[in-house]
Amino acid sequence: MAEQKRRGCLGCSFPVLVAVFIVALAVFAVGFLAGPLGKSIVGDVGLPSWLSVPAPEPHLPAPVPFHIYRLPVTNTILAGWITVIFLILISWLISRRLKLVPGRLQAAFEFILGWIYDFCRNVAGEEYGRKFFPVVCTIFLFVAFNAWLSLIPGFGAIMLGHHELLRGANTDINTPLAIALVSFVFVEYYGLKTLGIKYLRKFINVSGFFRAVGDVVRGNIKKGLLGLFSGFVDFFVGLLETLSEFIRIVSFTFRLFGNMTAGEILVMVAAFLIPMAIGWAVYGLELFIGFIQALVFSGLTLAFASMAVSSQHGEEH
Amino acid sequence: MGGIAELGISVPTLVTQVVTFIILLVVLRFVAYKPFMRLLDERSRRVRESLEQAEAVKAESARAEEEIRKRLEQTGREEQERIARAAQAAEEIRRSAQAEARREADAIISRARVEIQRERDEAIAELRRQFADLTILAAEKVIERSLDRETHRELIEKVLEESTASGKQE
Repeated sequence: MAEQKRRGCLGCSFPVLVAVFIVALAVFAVGFLAGPLGKSIVGDVGLPSWLSVPAPEPHLPAPVPFHIYRLPVTNTILAGWITVIFLILISWLISRRLKLVPGRLQAAFEFILGWIYDFCRNVAGEEYGRKFFPVVCTIFLFVAFNAWLSLIPGFGAIMLGHHELLRGANTDINTPLAIALVSFVFVEYYGLKTLGIKYLRKFINVSGFFRAVGDVVRGNIKKGLLGLFSGFVDFFVGLLETLSEFIRIVSFTFRLFGNMTAGEILVMVAAFLIPMAIGWAVYGLELFIGFIQALVFSGLTLAFASMAVSSQHGEEH
Repeated sequence: MGGIAELGISVPTLVTQVVTFIILLVVLRFVAYKPFMRLLDERSRRVRESLEQAEAVKAESARAEEEIRKRLEQTGREEQERIARAAQAAEEIRRSAQAEARREADAIISRARVEIQRERDEAIAELRRQFADLTILAAEKVIERSLDRETHRELIEKVLEESTASGKQE
């Protein structure tokens, strides 16, 4: 037994490994020759035309396959719904019978949720970690599974009329923007709820300015003028803070949108240039990028939220 | 205006996605997060409880051990006391038995002495009586005639009495 094991490599015996390698090489060669890259270098060797993939024609706005009443349902909305249904169904199936001693599926479920929960607690602390967890976790799951859903082979190949029926929800700018808006509202809500009106002082900071005006009126010119200056700076910093709060929405949106759209185009281009051969490598990359983007989106939301509930606090002490 | 439309931002889609996300959030809250939190809390409660229980059991066993040790010590002490008491009692019994035996022996000895004394006295009396008779008999033989037995006995008794008295004086 041990003897046999030692002879194998990557879980296969050597003949199988060699066969796999040869097949992979053949596929690569055929793909290379059939694709435009090989054609332009080697010339047309007369491979059948169904082997080659049409050139991608990326378009950013999502097409609308059909309407429900008067609501245009884009293919990205449809994909988003599939993700939602999938997540809800899986969670429901697992949480229907949660046991203290988990089975395999429950262990995986607990692992993912527990990992995000620990992340929340590490960043925001015990109390706020628990409060932020649902939103942060939902953002993570929605973004990640949207990205991974669109990587299922054949996902974009279902056609309805002239359009694909499904397209990764993250590649429609409306989805990242929607999540960014939710994230923004979530952060501001917790900031206001926790710090009350004090939270707004970060954005509209005129107290120093008015104090300085008072000094000037009372005749304390030198101190008053200095105060006027620093009050003006404070006010300006407040404006910047306000601006950065809104810029977050934009950066959230375009980071996710850009990454996902670029990923999709990359997959299409890879399939176009060398059909069948290098798509899988790009797939691996995209799986990873989907995970990273989900982590970045949820992690930044978490960080902004914990900043919002603690920033004033930190300055006072 | 063409720039932003080119990106595909459209209000209905945006609103739909926001609603979709919020639906997902709310449903997951009930389907996933709450059960998950309950499970975590339950699990940590269990762990805490079992830890506390283990702690309590440990303390209990330590206390029981201490108790047993104390009791053993006490029993040992009591046992020793009892043994000592028993030894003392035995000693007493021995001593009293000895005293009793000695007393009894003394009594026997003194009784024997009294007896001996009495028998000796009786023997002496007997001897004296026989001796008197013999003496009278001898005297009758000597003087060949019978004397008044009673008168002479008294006389002889008197002589013997005197001789004994004189003998005692010696």
